[in-house]
Parts: sequence; C-alpha cells; structure tokens
Amino acid sequence: MEIKSLSLRARAVVEGFMSGLHRSPRTGFSTEFTEYRQYSQGDDVRFLDWKVMARTDREFIKKFEDETNLRCTFMVDFSRSMEFGGDEAGVKKSDYGRTIAASLAWFLIQQRDAVGLATFDRDVREFIPPRYRQDQLKTILGRLETQPAGQATDLCQALDKLASLVGKRGMIVLVSDFLTPIDELERSLNLFTAAGHDVRAIQVLHPRELDFAFEDAAIFEDMESGQNLILDPGLAREAYLEKIKAHNDALDGVFSAQGITSFRVSTTEPMELVLLKFLQEQPARAVARQRRSPGRSAA
Amino acid sequence: MSFLTPLYLIGALGLAIPVILHLLHDRPKNKQAFGSLMFLDKTKPPVDRKRRPTHLLLLLLRCLALLLLAFVFARPFVLVDDPAAAGKRDRQWLTVLLDSSASMQRADLWQQAKAKVETALGQLGQGDHFTLYTYGDTARSLVDIETWQDGASRDEVTQQLERLAKPGFGGSDLGQALVIAGEAIQEKQAEPDEQPLAKREILVISDLQKGSQLGEVQGYEWPTGIKVSLEQIGEDDQGNCGMEQVAARTLWAATESVPSFRISNSPNSSTDEFEFVARAATGDPLSQKVHVPPGRSRVIEMPAEWLGQTIQQLAIRGDAAEFDNTFHFSQNRQQTVRIVYLGEDKPNDAEGSLFYLASAFQKTSALDFDVQAVSGQSTAPLPGADLFVVDGTVSDGLATALDKAVRGGATALAIVQSEKQTDNLKLWLEAPDLLIQDVKSREYGLLQSLKLDHPVLSVFRDSRYSDFTNLHFWNYRELQSLPSEGVEVLARFDTGPPAWLLVPRDEGRLMVMTAGWRPSDSQLALSTKFIPLLYSILQPVLEAKTQSHQFHVGSRIDVTKFNNGDVSGSVSIVSSGEGATPIEIEDIFLPTEPGLYTASGAGWSESFAVNLLPAESRTEPISMDQFQKLGLPMDEAVASPGQLAADAADAEKTEANRREYWQWALAAVLLFVTLETALAARGSRSAEPIMTS
Repeated sequence: MEIKSLSLRARAVVEGFMSGLHRSPRTGFSTEFTEYRQYSQGDDVRFLDWKVMARTDREFIKKFEDETNLRCTFMVDFSRSMEFGGDEAGVKKSDYGRTIAASLAWFLIQQRDAVGLATFDRDVREFIPPRYRQDQLKTILGRLETQPAGQATDLCQALDKLASLVGKRGMIVLVSDFLTPIDELERSLNLFTAAGHDVRAIQVLHPRELDFAFEDAAIFEDMESGQNLILDPGLAREAYLEKIKAHNDALDGVFSAQGITSFRVSTTEPMELVLLKFLQEQPARAVARQRRSPGRSAA
Repeated sequence: MSFLTPLYLIGALGLAIPVILHLLHDRPKNKQAFGSLMFLDKTKPPVDRKRRPTHLLLLLLRCLALLLLAFVFARPFVLVDDPAAAGKRDRQWLTVLLDSSASMQRADLWQQAKAKVETALGQLGQGDHFTLYTYGDTARSLVDIETWQDGASRDEVTQQLERLAKPGFGGSDLGQALVIAGEAIQEKQAEPDEQPLAKREILVISDLQKGSQLGEVQGYEWPTGIKVSLEQIGEDDQGNCGMEQVAARTLWAATESVPSFRISNSPNSSTDEFEFVARAATGDPLSQKVHVPPGRSRVIEMPAEWLGQTIQQLAIRGDAAEFDNTFHFSQNRQQTVRIVYLGEDKPNDAEGSLFYLASAFQKTSALDFDVQAVSGQSTAPLPGADLFVVDGTVSDGLATALDKAVRGGATALAIVQSEKQTDNLKLWLEAPDLLIQDVKSREYGLLQSLKLDHPVLSVFRDSRYSDFTNLHFWNYRELQSLPSEGVEVLARFDTGPPAWLLVPRDEGRLMVMTAGWRPSDSQLALSTKFIPLLYSILQPVLEAKTQSHQFHVGSRIDVTKFNNGDVSGSVSIVSSGEGATPIEIEDIFLPTEPGLYTASGAGWSESFAVNLLPAESRTEPISMDQFQKLGLPMDEAVASPGQLAADAADAEKTEANRREYWQWALAAVLLFVTLETALAARGSRSAEPIMTS
C-alpha cells in the first residue's frame, strides 16, 4: 500500500491484472456473440445475420452478451471495525476494501459499464446511483478517498435502506467484514436476491482476525462499541478461532443459500489475484439465467 | 525474644498492601484495538509470567520496611540473665490436690495422676513449701506443711504415693478440698514468716469429671494471692453410662413399688446400646437391652419376670468405663405396721369408727397394716403397737399401760366421745381439772384456725387441699381447763373450742380429737382429708419402717434405725465378700466400699446395699467456665501486698536485664525506605511505554 492515491492504486491494480488477462485461457466479461436463434415474427430485424441469410436463405438472429449496460453498485462498509489493521501484519481492512472497490470500478468504467457507489456504517452515508459518465469514476474515487469515520456497523439496516434505493436490477458488490449477526443479514440479503440483483460479497478480514496471533495480554477494545476486555490471547485464542470459523461457515451457508458469490480475502493477499478470482467466478446459476435474457439487461 | 507491646505486631498485616498493589500492577497496560469483541470471551486475569526482577526487589524492600516498622512498634527485647541474680530463687508454696474418687479408677488415670504429682515434686526448689492432699468425699492430708518443713524428703513423699495403690470409691468433693487447702495455706501465712512467698499455688490433679462437687467454693471468699491450676488427666474420656435407683417419692403411699433404675449416658458417649444385667442368687444372669442416646437418661423398671427372684447385683454392660457398672441391690422386705383399736366397735359396723379405720390402711408392697381391735374394758395386757386408736372409755389398767406406751415412743389417737372419758384424759393430758362438755348446737360445726405449718397438717398446706369448709361436724365436745403448756391446738371449731390437739409425751405423741369420724359425729371419714390425715399422724412410724436399704459410699448409715428401730446394743456389720470380718458399730456406719452388707443384732439381721455415688458416673469433663464463675483465680493470682513488692523488684530487675533492639530495627527501616526510593526512581526513569502491536 505504498501508493497513497486511490485512483493510482486502482489503476496499478487493474493494469497489472489486464496484463495477466492475455495469458488467461478464458475471458470474463466478454462482449462476444453467444448464439444464433431462428428468427420469429416480431424480432428486431437489426439483429438478423445477413451473411448467413445470404448463404443459406434462412433468417437467424444474432444474440450478444450485452455487458456494456451492466449496472454495478459497490456497497462499501465504512464502519469503524474496518479501520482495524495498518500494521506489519496487514493493511487496514478499509484501505483494502476501498482499493478493491476502486479497482473494480475503474475496470468496469473502462468497459463502459454503469457504476454506482454506496457507503454505509450504521446507516447509508453516501449513495451515487450507477451511471456511465466520463466523470463518474472521478466522483466515485473521490467518495472512496474520504476517510471513513463511521460508527458501529448495522449492515442489515443499511442494506434494507439500499434495497429501496437501488431500483433497477443489476450487480451489487458488497465489500465488508460481515462481522454482524447472521440471521438478520440473511433477511436483508434476501431483499436483493429476490429483486433479481446479482449480489457478490467480498469479505475483507485482517490476518489477525483470522489467526488471532496476539502474544501479550492487553486490554482489548472493541473499535465499534468501545467496550474493554482484559485478555490473555493465549487463553482466548482457541475459543476465538472456533467462534470465527463457525461465523464464517454460517456466513458461507447464507451466501450459498441466497445464490450469492462470495470471496473471503485477507488483507495480505495480492489484490490483482483477488480481482482475477472475482472476475473469473461465474455468477450463481439462478442469477445468471436472469441476466442472459436478451434485451432485458439493458433496462 | 519477647515484645513489650506485642499488639503492634498486628501492623504486620499491612504487608498485604504492597503485595496487592504489586499484583494490581500486573494488569496489562497496553491497549489493543480490535474489530469486534463478539467472538471473545472473558478469560481469567492474565498472569504476567515475566515479572521484572526490579519489581520483586521493590516489593521485597517495601515488605521488609513495613515488617520492621511493626517490629519497632512492638518493642522487641531479650532478657539477659544476670548470673548474680540467678542464684536467688523465689520461694513458692505448692499444694497438690490429688483426686482419689471412684472415677479415677478408670484405665490408668491413677498411675497418670501419681506421675503428675512426681513431676510437680521434681520442679520444687530449695526452700519451697509442699503439701499433698488426696480428696474423695473428704480431703485427707498426706503431707502437711509441718511434716514437709520437718525435712520430709521427696523420697518419703514418693513412698507415700506408692502406698496409695488404688483410688477410693467415694465421690469427688473438689470444692471442699479446695477450701481446706486454701485455708491451710492462709493459716500458715498468718504466722510470721522469714520471707514472703512469691507464689502460692494449688495444683489440682484430677479427671475433673462433671460429677465433681464445687458447692463449697461458691459461698467461700477465695483468699487473695493463691492461684489454682488444673492438671486434667483423662481428657480423652470416651463416655460412660451410669445407673442409680430411683426412689419412690412416698414409698408407703404407692400400692405397688417396682424398683426403677435411671440409666444415664454421658453426652460424649459413642454408644447408645447397653445391656442391663441382673445376677440372681441362683440361676443364669438375666439381661435386657437398653437404648439410651448420648446425653440422655432413661428410667427403666425392673422387668416383672425378674421380680420373683432374689436379685443381689445388677450391672450395665457395653460402656467404656467399667468401674461403676456393678450395682448392688437389696430388696426391701414388706414391713408390718401394727395398729391397735381400743373401743367397742365391730369391724363391719359402718356406723362405727373401726370400720373406717381398717379401711383406710390398705396393704402395699412395702407395708402391711395389722389392725387389732381390743375392748376398752379388756383385762388383757395392752399389746404393742405403732399406733393406738382410743375410741371411748378404757379401763384404768389399759389407760395406764397406754400412757406408758406413749411415753415410751408410741403414737396414740384418742377420740373424745363422752364425758365418761374425763378420767382417761385427765391421766393422759396431766390435767386434773379437765372437764368434757357436749356441745349442743343446731348448727353444724366447721374447722378453723388450722395450723397447716404443723407436720401433722402440712400435707394440706397446698391451697388446693386446705379447704375444710365441706367438712361438717354434727356432734363434738369441748375440753375445758386444759393445761396451759404442753398442749398444741392444731384446729378449732368455728365456735371456739379446740377440735384437734397434739400432746407430746416424752418419746411419743398423743393426738386428741374432740369429734370422731363416725357418720353420726362428722363427715370426716367420708371426706378426702381422712386418709391423708391418718397417714400424716403415722408418718414418723412409716418413715422408720420404710427406710431404704440402698446407700452410697461415704453416706452416714444410722444403724439404730435397722430392725424397725428396735436395736439394742451394737450392731455387727459384715460385707458379703468372702473372708470379711464383722465390724461392731454403735451408731453411725460409714461405708468406704460398695457392696452388699448384712447388719445383724440380737435375733435379727438385715441386708443393705452400698453403691458408688451416681455423680461419679458422670465422667465427661467439667466446663472450665464453671471454675471461673466460681471466682477461682485461674490464670494470674491477685497479688497480695507482699507479692506486689516482689513483683516491683522483679520488674526493676527485668528492666535492668532487658536489651532492646528497636533502634536497630528503625535504622533498618530507614535504610530500606531509602533503597526503595532510589530503586523506584531508577525504575521509573528507565521505564518506557510498552506498546503491544
């Protein structure tokens, strides 16, 4: 995280990723032709493949994956718990999360997709509706650049609100640590998946949160509530690891039940690999089917 | 090393303060921000295993400083013996009271007690006084102060002790022994002595069992300056079970008196099942199980099937101590009370006096009443009797014989029926001018001015029984010109004349009633007062007849009361043991050992049993509070003026020989505090904020 500016950082990440893209046997968001379909009455004659018609005297309609009109909204957690990190063990979760959001936004804008941003802590703080404009990226980066000074997270309340804000169907990328009670989260996520959004979740965790490798006894302070707890990490580690594993397992269960593609990343992981993984990951089937119906994705 | 003000040592508890502060210091100071505590549980306060040695040193210094401070305040000192003073020892008087009561027969208590006496003897120095008493029922001096001062050596005392092979069978009157020993010391003190004794002490070597009597000390003002110390032996008492016979309250009144026994189990006893065994003269021993919980007692009656047999010995089996388990038992024989009725009534005439008299005295298991009717005009000699009832005129010969019998100790009851008895009464009352007059009144007579305090009427003293208003007299007589002395009027009629008179005659007594109990005279025979009154008149006779044949060791047995009091000359008493020699006793026999004895005189013999005092069976230790309540100086003697002077001299001597070290300790405190300050200052300079990432 030597690069301070988020736009520079995002570009560096994406360019590194782009160069790797050529070596990849598969493409992610392609604008390629997908299939032919027999013409039927009422179809737009603009999509007729004239060459095939001339050769075979049959009418075929060309179908395309229309990603240029993808509406993607990044929802980035700006709560205090995301401020954890920034030491030799790993960058801050918020820095990491914001960089991922910025990089993906950059990449999508490059592909002329409509990109929006929502930041939240206990409530929705900012909401920039998805748009494709020249200065949209600048706006988004500018918003992401502001230092998060949020309060406690109430992911569920924020999601409920966002569900009403994000009107049209599109892609939702949730960047958060998801350290919140699971049962409420499931209900909130359901609002998005039920509305047909393609929801993808990126859970950003600091390596210390995953291994709890503290050594000295200390007064542990909850960054959100300010609660204190005197702890001997040696004694508390085992129980902690069990609990966080149980939480993550439950979270994965919720995501898979909702058809949400999820990624759990540690802030030490190279970001371009995370991006690659993100783009290569096929959306969950149910959502993908909805997206493939021609003409509707452009709505 | 000793301390002048040892209470200040409590200040050493202040050590806890630095220790606690140092422990608090171990709380982690570094803060660690963390995303969410939702997965963290509270753990035990972390222990800092890497405690820095500087902290330990600081703690050590602080603790030492506090400890020394408390030490300084307590003023420690060491007494240095002055070789010159060591030669001069204070003289003391030691009186040893050695318990030789029956309870000392348990296990090896007696040997232990004798060993304690030897130990006490060994601690005496040159010029000390020593006296030795043994006590049971009474205190007995073994070594008195004169013998001791005359040069009785320790060896002689030891020899005397050895001669005491066994303790006695008596009770333990510790109170009396203490008083005797205290007085002996005091009496000796009163004499001019060359040098006051620094210490006077009475050492009691005893099992201090609960049955010890301390009553005498209660009313005794304990002499000042005499300390009492107690050397208890046999503290590991494992409980004991005792047995005593329960005496019937009024033996002659009970129709059937089955012998009852109280079995008491001591509170510290470990068992509650005992066997009650009877050894009959012939046949196998009889036994019965008895359950008595510790600390309780139970009265059991002798089983009916045992009653027919001649039982001489009872026993309790199953308790820890054996010494009191045997109980010697002497069954009371039925005694005959002879009553002679002098009058003309027929025994079955319900209108006469004899019918009611004979009905009033019913046979019981202890007493048989022989009522003999003799005509007042009989010329036969007057038969001997315990009670004569005169109803009507008797011939001069009989009157004279009766007067003689009464003077000889008999009891007579004369009922005045008519003026014809004037001559008889003149003789018996020694009243030459006596007149008898029939009272003719339309109203019935009532009794009043009853002397309820008199032994004869005391049975009616209780307000429940003192109402005589339902007792109506239809016919009664008035005695006039009664002698002014020697006649006691127990009751009068409401019209004034005496109703019941009592006249003591030498050894015997004559009671005169101016109205009898014939239904034509009064309601007396049918009232509830009749039988108690007759028994009350007979009481001295009954008491003599029903004298118990159960005694305790040390009790005074009046041998003249044997054989219904008809004892002439000396009585020969022999124990039932084999080879026992008879002892001739004139009046009082003091038994020293339990057992079955036979008393015999000219033509008669009676057996009686002597047992241990029931109090001896209470072997659980006495509570020490009791001695303090009695005002015995248990710890420190109240100093006499002589001792005060000796104490003052002692104090001065001690002052001179005392070496105090508090100044050094104070210097050490200052040193430690300085070191601590320096160390703490260095520590605070070098300390840097410890950050934990």
